[in-house]
Amino acid sequence: MSALEIALTPSFIVFVVLAAVAVASAFLVVEHKSLVYSAFFLGVLGMANAVIFSLLGFTFIALFHLAVYIGAAVTFILFAITMFEEVPPVERRVRFIAIFAALLAFVLIVGVFGTYFAGTVQPSYVDYKTLAGFLTEKYWFALLVAGLTLVTTLIEAITLARIERRE
Amino acid sequence: MMETTTLLLLSLSAFMFGIGLYGLISKRNMLRMLLAAEVNFNAALLALLAFASSSPSPEAASVGGITALLAIGIAAADVGMLVSIAILMYHLRRRLDVYELKESKG
Repeated sequence: MSALEIALTPSFIVFVVLAAVAVASAFLVVEHKSLVYSAFFLGVLGMANAVIFSLLGFTFIALFHLAVYIGAAVTFILFAITMFEEVPPVERRVRFIAIFAALLAFVLIVGVFGTYFAGTVQPSYVDYKTLAGFLTEKYWFALLVAGLTLVTTLIEAITLARIERRE
Repeated sequence: MMETTTLLLLSLSAFMFGIGLYGLISKRNMLRMLLAAEVNFNAALLALLAFASSSPSPEAASVGGITALLAIGIAAADVGMLVSIAILMYHLRRRLDVYELKESKG
């Protein structure tokens, strides 16, 4: 199959629906008036992404994304948002620059990386045992660095949250 | 089984990245900027896994999966970090306007 040939299989239709949900959610995350709804739509975007990951064959990563990213991170943002109030929007000129930057990013990403992504997706079905084996045997140093990063971030977050306001 | 081209996945990812970038530039609220950056993260993760699954080598798929796992873990930590910075800023300034951050030196 060439790069632009499309077969209308059920999985492709599911992919199109998920892509539409992801794009609409991404737009609502950025543009919704209420911060709470923005965080909610970030969760919807994460779920749509997780289903696409599982269609690609990365079922374990999809589950991890659902549990860690949506279950922890997005819920945390959602609860934190309720404490704050809104800030006035930027001026119109900055919005035009932002739209131009977004279009430029789209064109550049597709233009530069498009040649590397010209093939057809082959679902990989990587199981968690293989992943765990790779992580503990071959990429243990990356795992160690990630663990240390998480601990450092935790300490930084606690320290920052405990700083008292100076009178 | 998914029979689609990786170019479609890359286009979806690039479009989502563009939306996130628009949000990052056009917003002044620190939490809105964090949410836009999370859209960017989701787009990058999608591109990474699409690239991993388009590779003919099974090891490349595993390496892509491991990178994605580490990235998701670190992104969750990053959210905690940024929200705690936002809480601190709100304690100090009673606002989350990033334009006021340059006045908070030292």
